[in-house]
Amino acid sequence: MTAEPKSLRVGETLRLRIVAHVDENVLQLDNVTLPDLSGFDSLGDERRCATSGHGSDCVEVMTLSPTEGGDRTIAPTTLDAIDARNGKPSHFATNSVTIHVAGAARPNGVTRALFDDLLKPIAILVIVGAAAYALLWGFVRRKPLPAPPAAPARPVTPATSIDPLTQLIAALARERTHARVLAVRDELRRRVGAREEETLDDLFARRAADDDPAVAGALRAVERAAFVDDSQLDGAIDDALRTLSKWHES
Amino acid sequence: MTVSAPRKPQVLLDALAATIVGQRPSLEALLASLIAGGHVLLEGPPGLAKTLACRALASAVGGSFKRIQFTPDLLPSDIVGTRVFDQRAGEFTTVLGPIFANIVLADEVNRAPAKVQSALLEGMQERQVTIGPQTFPLPDPFVVTATMNPLDSEGTYALPLAQMDRFLVKILVDYPSSDEEGRILDRFGGETPALPADVVSIDDILRWRHEARTVHVEPRLKRYVVDLVGATRVKHDYVDRGASPRATLAIAALARARALVAGRDFALPDDVRAVAPAVLRHRLAFNYRTLTDKVDPETIVAGIIAAVPTP
Repeated sequence: MTAEPKSLRVGETLRLRIVAHVDENVLQLDNVTLPDLSGFDSLGDERRCATSGHGSDCVEVMTLSPTEGGDRTIAPTTLDAIDARNGKPSHFATNSVTIHVAGAARPNGVTRALFDDLLKPIAILVIVGAAAYALLWGFVRRKPLPAPPAAPARPVTPATSIDPLTQLIAALARERTHARVLAVRDELRRRVGAREEETLDDLFARRAADDDPAVAGALRAVERAAFVDDSQLDGAIDDALRTLSKWHES
Repeated sequence: MTVSAPRKPQVLLDALAATIVGQRPSLEALLASLIAGGHVLLEGPPGLAKTLACRALASAVGGSFKRIQFTPDLLPSDIVGTRVFDQRAGEFTTVLGPIFANIVLADEVNRAPAKVQSALLEGMQERQVTIGPQTFPLPDPFVVTATMNPLDSEGTYALPLAQMDRFLVKILVDYPSSDEEGRILDRFGGETPALPADVVSIDDILRWRHEARTVHVEPRLKRYVVDLVGATRVKHDYVDRGASPRATLAIAALARARALVAGRDFALPDDVRAVAPAVLRHRLAFNYRTLTDKVDPETIVAGIIAAVPTP
């Protein structure tokens, strides 16, 4: 049993949803005892049972409106039925639900007039005063910020003229194995920003990588080399190396 | 003497696409299921050419086709056949039912009671039917395409999960885009166009099936299939029971078939990812929270699939 919302004001409405699952196909549930709903006005009650391959899900949705404030606990809804697991009559119960009901939903005529005439101008004055004080305080206290410490000089690393992908491609050309293909594929996917859970089509759909035919061609050729049978691996690697070099040239 | 090149699955797909406007994913799944040798459940609102797609497929394949309209008063013998007494011969003879066809369209399969559904589903599983003392093998290929309308649940008999499992895929047919609807108006607004006839033969289908079985699936891709199905069995807020190993076999078979249709002799992660929702959506037991939280089961299936890293 659930309520939505669980916190509201007097006069507002909430929906109390009671759900029961039974392992048989039924059109309605008998022997359901609804909880005591004194303190709420009932504005509507809708019941339905949906059957599926694994039984029926019966849902009752009640539209309620609290008539008085305070925390109110709606007791569990109960159902007397035969338990299919042991064939014995059993007493089933849902959880209980606690609703927090605040005072009136919105100020009525007299309260609202009092708010508009007296409290509203005072509230505005308080807010404006607080803002002016904060501004003044900030201005008086303002000091120049200390200069940030100078960043330490970066250690100079020797520049490499060959990037990892180029090295992996060269290794693949030397050693034509599935493992080398996979290493190239991983680096290529990383380079184009493929996510771990993405397939090639997902990647193309997300990044429109097909826009650059050289990239798309390289990705497809390497994908083929990664998944072909060993008997076709040589040809697939030739194709992959060719498209990769075309991509590098472009 | 002329020798024609063997026809490819793409020819059949193009012929279907020439009849059915849009619905490319549904047609691809239908063709992949035919090649994988499985039965198909089509679900969608009325008027979305579910029946037409099945008729077009049957006509294009050139095999025998029978349609059975499921109704609450249907009997098992109306499907499998029965034995009648031949007074002239003085003996019982067997009259075979409409299930004896290459492609059987079970229209609105959830409108018939359980024993009738069972008669059909038993034939689907065993690929043979027993009438009286005799057992008759069903033709090869034998594909059941069943349709269901998700909207009118009054007076229907929901298929139990165990029987849903007999269907290789469940294809959801959705409304066309406005462009497609305009083309539907152009194509079907006047004379009803003829269905594609004998585009391929039964022999072609049987050959494709053989070729699909030889499509290479890398061990890492097999692992991915196992992980995908395994992910449905992990404790989940909305799923009570995950898919069986039958789903694992189905995904692999359909991925192979999809690769073949694409003209490849190896399967890719994209093939697995593309067929997985259709294999899994009717095999998961969703719990009552999907109702109370108003969660679309399709979103749950997509979430489970998306969470598994690709190879």
